Amino acid sequence: MKPAGSIPEQYRRTVTYIAAGFLILSVTLYLALPIAALFLRITPDLFFSSLSDPQVTSALWLSLFTSVISLGVVILVGTPFAYVHTRCSYPGKVLVDTLIDLPLVLPPAVAGVALLVLYGRAGLVGRYFSMAGISIAFTTLAVIMAQIFVASPFYLRQAKSLFEQFDLAYEQTARTLGASPLRTFLAITLPLTAGGLVSGAVMTFGRALGEFGATIMFAGNLPGVTQTMPLAVYVGMESNLASGLTISILLVIISFGIMIAVRLLSSKEVQHA
Amino acid sequence: MIPMKQSLTKTSLILIGIVCVLLLATAFLAGCTSTAPQSQTPAATPAPVSATPAPTPQPLVTTAAPVSTPAVAATTGTPKPTFTPSQGNVVAYTAASLSGVSPKLASDFEKMYPGDQVVFNLDGTQALKTQVENGAYADVFISASNSYTNMLKGEGYFVNSTVHPLTSNYVIVILPASNPGNIQSLADLANPGVKIAMEDKSVPAGTATVAVLANLAKSTYNADWNSSVFKNVVTYETSEPAVATKVSLGEADAGFVYESTYTAAPKNTYLAITIPKKDNYLQTYTIGILKGSTSTGASADFENFMLSAFGEQDLKDYGFRPL
Repeated sequence: MKPAGSIPEQYRRTVTYIAAGFLILSVTLYLALPIAALFLRITPDLFFSSLSDPQVTSALWLSLFTSVISLGVVILVGTPFAYVHTRCSYPGKVLVDTLIDLPLVLPPAVAGVALLVLYGRAGLVGRYFSMAGISIAFTTLAVIMAQIFVASPFYLRQAKSLFEQFDLAYEQTARTLGASPLRTFLAITLPLTAGGLVSGAVMTFGRALGEFGATIMFAGNLPGVTQTMPLAVYVGMESNLASGLTISILLVIISFGIMIAVRLLSSKEVQHA
Repeated sequence: MIPMKQSLTKTSLILIGIVCVLLLATAFLAGCTSTAPQSQTPAATPAPVSATPAPTPQPLVTTAAPVSTPAVAATTGTPKPTFTPSQGNVVAYTAASLSGVSPKLASDFEKMYPGDQVVFNLDGTQALKTQVENGAYADVFISASNSYTNMLKGEGYFVNSTVHPLTSNYVIVILPASNPGNIQSLADLANPGVKIAMEDKSVPAGTATVAVLANLAKSTYNADWNSSVFKNVVTYETSEPAVATKVSLGEADAGFVYESTYTAAPKNTYLAITIPKKDNYLQTYTIGILKGSTSTGASADFENFMLSAFGEQDLKDYGFRPL
């Protein structure tokens, strides 16, 4: 590599453009080529015939259903939590901050084992639920709980960061004009941070949709009840390659669809956590 | 991000850090000082709970697999080193049901052929087969299913002359030691509300289980029993040890595994119900060297070890049935 100083003046711009182009191309291809390979490995008729496979349709429906519910819970509970967390100071705030980030670094399989040991039939808390006749492990509820556990940090960190950076002057002005804290939050804070919150929600939905390790550990693998799309891909790849590829392609299409929809809906530049 | 309230924030973080380091140190020390996994065949289970008469074939069982006697163990003992010119690394793609015995196999192999080393990739045979078919490198392939072995042979992945039967295994039903589902016999598996864990049909143990249940339905019970059992399945696991884990955690009332898993487990982990031989499915394991292998000498050493008296003894100690 020639040191920059020795490249002649007239070629410096070309070299920069070529280097930049190479960088962009390599990153783009690294991300795009595996996706393209998925599409190229399967023929269109095999793809469409697999779409009617009951295993594929039940996994698709179950994944979308559970991910939407998980996202709903995270937004409904997480937004007020993040707001209160940033506006108030309370003992143990640092610990809670660390705990919010914990599922990000915790291996999903570990999360699954932890949930099983707590909420399973023989678990610390689960045994009381079991005595009341409520079973948690190996149900669709377990899928939702596992998804919430691993995906919530994405939304919570984003919401936390947005509320922290939000200019308090707006809220204070609203308060001086007579609005209650709740009305201030709903009418001022929320609309102005909505763009960023949507971005956090998208990441959460994507993570929940793709959750595998915690799901298979805590919820098990039962078609129609707990076999989400990632599980169906894993099982399908080993027995029926066509259905495995079909589900993978469906996941790619859904992910792309979500990202495009978000880009169209949010017009502002968003800061990421 | 967080406004620095100096002493309180810093102290809290330091405390959390110290706690984490202490936990890691404790885990590390515990791991270092723990002894090797069980190598003796465990004794019989505690007294059978049931005394069911007729139509059920068996009450809760005592032992399921042949117990190795001290006399037999003495004749094999520690392998004597054989020095061969090949000093290589063997990558063995091995069916997951050999997870428990694999450390013993590794150490005995390395004693018998000093200079050779083996690394196991343990997973469901169906997963390993897919990996090999998509270009994964392996020297030796130990398969739990004859049909997968034949598929790989037909696709040209094996050096066919090196493929030999290795050992075998029957299917057994295990229950958590506390028997939360109150299962006394195979008939009880169809009771409403019982939670059964099974392997997915792509796993060799899963195919065996399906066959066993079909045999039982034909000979002793009926088709309704068969469909009720399947209605009680709460999870189709992707490997055989995963089923054993769900049962040992008490989350499933019953699970279908290989007899070797039950025999090699520590005493009082599971209760078991044997399945009559005439209805059972004998899973045959095969071992073979793959065409793509580059350490052919070490692989041949490993196959020789596995098929030798020492390898067979190790497998027998962990509950596999010699052929």
